[in-house]
Amino acid sequence: MRGKRRYILARILPCRMAVDQKQVYLAVIEAATSLFGDAAVGLAQPAVVFCEGGYAVVRCRRGTEKDIAVALATVNAIADEPAALRTVAVSGTIHALRRRIKPIRPLSGAGDVKFRDTYFTVYRYPRQKVDLVEKGIKHQKSLFFTEADLEER
Amino acid sequence: MKITDACVHPYPAGDSTVARIAIEAAELGFDSIVAIGDGGDRHYGVEIFRGAVIGAASVKEVLKRVRDPAVRRADVVYVDAGDISFNRAVVAVKEVHVLRNIHATRRNAFDHVAARTAGKRGVAVDISMAPIIHLRGTKRQRVLQRYADILSLQRRYGFPLTVSSDARSILGQRSVREIRGLCALFGMTGTEVTEALSSVGRIIEPHRPVRVVE
Repeated sequence: MRGKRRYILARILPCRMAVDQKQVYLAVIEAATSLFGDAAVGLAQPAVVFCEGGYAVVRCRRGTEKDIAVALATVNAIADEPAALRTVAVSGTIHALRRRIKPIRPLSGAGDVKFRDTYFTVYRYPRQKVDLVEKGIKHQKSLFFTEADLEER
Repeated sequence: MKITDACVHPYPAGDSTVARIAIEAAELGFDSIVAIGDGGDRHYGVEIFRGAVIGAASVKEVLKRVRDPAVRRADVVYVDAGDISFNRAVVAVKEVHVLRNIHATRRNAFDHVAARTAGKRGVAVDISMAPIIHLRGTKRQRVLQRYADILSLQRRYGFPLTVSSDARSILGQRSVREIRGLCALFGMTGTEVTEALSSVGRIIEPHRPVRVVE
């Protein structure tokens, strides 16, 4: 018989990260299994049902959402890139969670900047947030500044 | 009651500036943060206290380092925990506010004698979320075990606890709700977590009895 489910909406950080749903699932499963063990995670049946626009929706059995939310807090990398999952809301339906999704888009005017002999691509976000990503192919360093910090330096 | 993240490491120690960490802390439900090596201002509604960490091999070196001008200017002074005799002596030092890195010490390093002294002098022990988030396997099990031991000593001897994210990046910060969930892993109740999150405010502004001056 189909059990009752709960859905957890989590924001993926950093915002600009292009993530694959399967990679998010692997990160969640690894974190949950490491923390609670195979038996508990087997009963919780976590799954990533949606991954778009900087958000992921994780499904689990009703009654296990608190444990899965704690496991999400211990995720520190997705596909070997440093990342974090921040729980935003829990609901019985995906529809209710979709209403809580506020798309995070970089503001226009992403440029380049040279900082300490390294070139970074600048991503600007609302509330004065600025992400600097080192130019390169793989494992680029990221710095997290504000507009005021960027002007100072 | 101010909810404070007891320890963050802003740029250049980490990859996020103190202002950016403050923005994230405000979004995560914190009223203030303690920034190691930086601070003394208010950004985006979050008060930033200055913290100083002393990592010393002997008590003599701690006594020397607390007289450093940079440490004297700090609002909160942390000392990295060491072995049993070091911890017993360091919690008796007047200028020391918080003992940190307790998870990295041996099981008996913080015992009932140090706990009683810490309780009398109001020296706090820091519970860091970073090892719970970043470690896996037996290393994390040992950390949770240590924290459970510290919690049982705290319930008996009444010394304060502080909770810190120990974040070097905004990716290492966690919300107040997530911290409650992580602290519940080693048996901390919601009330105890709230108490620990507001300890830094009490350390910086301790209650003193009313004195009549004529």
